[in-house]
Amino acid sequence: MRPSSREMEEMDAIAAAGCLNASSRQISSSFHEQQENSEIPPFETPSHDDFLEQMLSVIPNCSHWPDLTSNPEIPVDAVHYPFDDSPLLSASKLRQHQINGADDSSVASKSFLLQQQLLLSGGVAGGGDSGLLPFPSSLASGDSVDTRLPVDRSQLDGGDGSVQALYNGFAGSVNENGQTANHQHFQAGTMPAQNYGAPATAALMNHTQGSASTGGSGPAPQRQRVRARRGQATDPHSIAERLRRERIAERMKALQELVPNANKTDKSSMLDEIIDYVKFLQLQVKVLSMSRLGGAAAVAPLVADISSEGGGVGRSSDGGQPTAAAASNENLIVTEHHVAKLMEEDMGSAMQYLQGKGLCLMPICRSTAANHHRHSPTSNGGISSNPRMASEGEGHASPNLSHLAVPSACVTDGAGGPDAAAMDAASASKP
Amino acid sequence: MNPHPSSCSNGRSIRTRFARRFLRALKKIGSKGSSSRPSPRDISWRCRRVKIAADASMASAVGPRRVWSRTMLNMLRSRSHACLHASRLGNSRRPGADRHAVGKRKRLVLKRKLPNRLGLNQVNQLRRLVPGGEAMDLDILLDETAHYIKCLATQVKVMRSIVDYCSA
Repeated sequence: MRPSSREMEEMDAIAAAGCLNASSRQISSSFHEQQENSEIPPFETPSHDDFLEQMLSVIPNCSHWPDLTSNPEIPVDAVHYPFDDSPLLSASKLRQHQINGADDSSVASKSFLLQQQLLLSGGVAGGGDSGLLPFPSSLASGDSVDTRLPVDRSQLDGGDGSVQALYNGFAGSVNENGQTANHQHFQAGTMPAQNYGAPATAALMNHTQGSASTGGSGPAPQRQRVRARRGQATDPHSIAERLRRERIAERMKALQELVPNANKTDKSSMLDEIIDYVKFLQLQVKVLSMSRLGGAAAVAPLVADISSEGGGVGRSSDGGQPTAAAASNENLIVTEHHVAKLMEEDMGSAMQYLQGKGLCLMPICRSTAANHHRHSPTSNGGISSNPRMASEGEGHASPNLSHLAVPSACVTDGAGGPDAAAMDAASASKP
Repeated sequence: MNPHPSSCSNGRSIRTRFARRFLRALKKIGSKGSSSRPSPRDISWRCRRVKIAADASMASAVGPRRVWSRTMLNMLRSRSHACLHASRLGNSRRPGADRHAVGKRKRLVLKRKLPNRLGLNQVNQLRRLVPGGEAMDLDILLDETAHYIKCLATQVKVMRSIVDYCSA
């Protein structure tokens, strides 16, 4: 596109005028590159985003723009003042659209607005019109643009017109064929290239609306000048990846509601929570199934003390369930050794889970034993701490669990000390 | 503690189905030779039976719709077959099958100590926890986990309410 080269020169002049300096030269160099490499897919996101950012970073400098008005060659002058209103209007519209948050349609509408302004600028840059118009759509298609345009516009007073000129300069080089992955934008862009003025905007509107419905369906058939939204590639693989990631994210959110204490934003910690919770539930099922074995069985010699303990714990945790003692008796029936072993093996995970819930472990020396319960499978300390841990679990550990666990702990210890310890634990872990 | 009708209908139907099957299984277990003084081994055996009954009734209540329930049913069936065969050989074999599963869980707990990188360790853990999770994509795995957690919670609620009822 020859006019685009003229735009390049104009833009170089602008840059030389002292506003843009290094960034613009980078931009111009990147333009040159892009002009040459019109068909190369590596065009796609990274380079575009880079130069977009460069370009947009330039915009805040528009306090310097008035300097350019001195330069007669620069069409910026003519662009400047007539547009003081329209850019702001469009800026507010842009902002509005952005707030509404509709992705494709908002971008399309933004592109439309930009185009509108450019069209208003009329024959500013002579033969560069054809190059002008496709550009804003390409700009607008980047999310970075979406976020920055309104902000930058807010900074601009009369500099919008100059910005338009800047865009104009970019347009031709950037978008020669008007083909992108976000085909809606680019098709919308190419349309006005042929029709100037109001009809063009109308066509653009129709076109963007028409294509907005099909937007996001996948990569455009033509891969040249693929302009994807920021952070999103146009490769079908990456789109599938993106979909998969979104699905995973929404499943994680659903899981967050199921699992208690799910205020973690980190994915890995959320996974930890989920794992702990599953282990905990499985353990609960196991323990409850043990408690089910009621019926006549040997009553441990410590039943009297333990039932009072269990009753005490049950009362403190349940507010007076009469089942406490009975359940504890039930549990006593089960082999202490068996209970201890089972609990001990699974309790580790349950303990970690409950610990994560903010439970304070009993202030007894068992705390260390709790950590080392694995290599002391039959030690009293290890066994006693764990069930008590689970017994004092707050949200999830059921009251039944608590008075199931405590008696077993007492039974295994077989001493008066742990009973007092159990009481301590009960009182200590009640927040 | 009665099942609350305010819960989602899905949970309630699963809950009632599970409760019915579980109670039936409990009756069967309870009716099996309740001696005056069950030995520790008998008690432990019954423990396991109750747990198996709980899992089986849960899985069958869910039905074959879910991967985890299907896997669990298959596992239980194969295990029961193995147990039957083992019982023919000798009673001593029976606890062995379950001990194997228990041992697996121990290994699982130990592995937890390793530092988690990229969440891959956790995902593998989750796969091991959820029945049938080995051969699932991550998003399906998460879906199954959500359903599994829901059903486990239901199971716990029902069993707890049964315990309360029996003890009251």
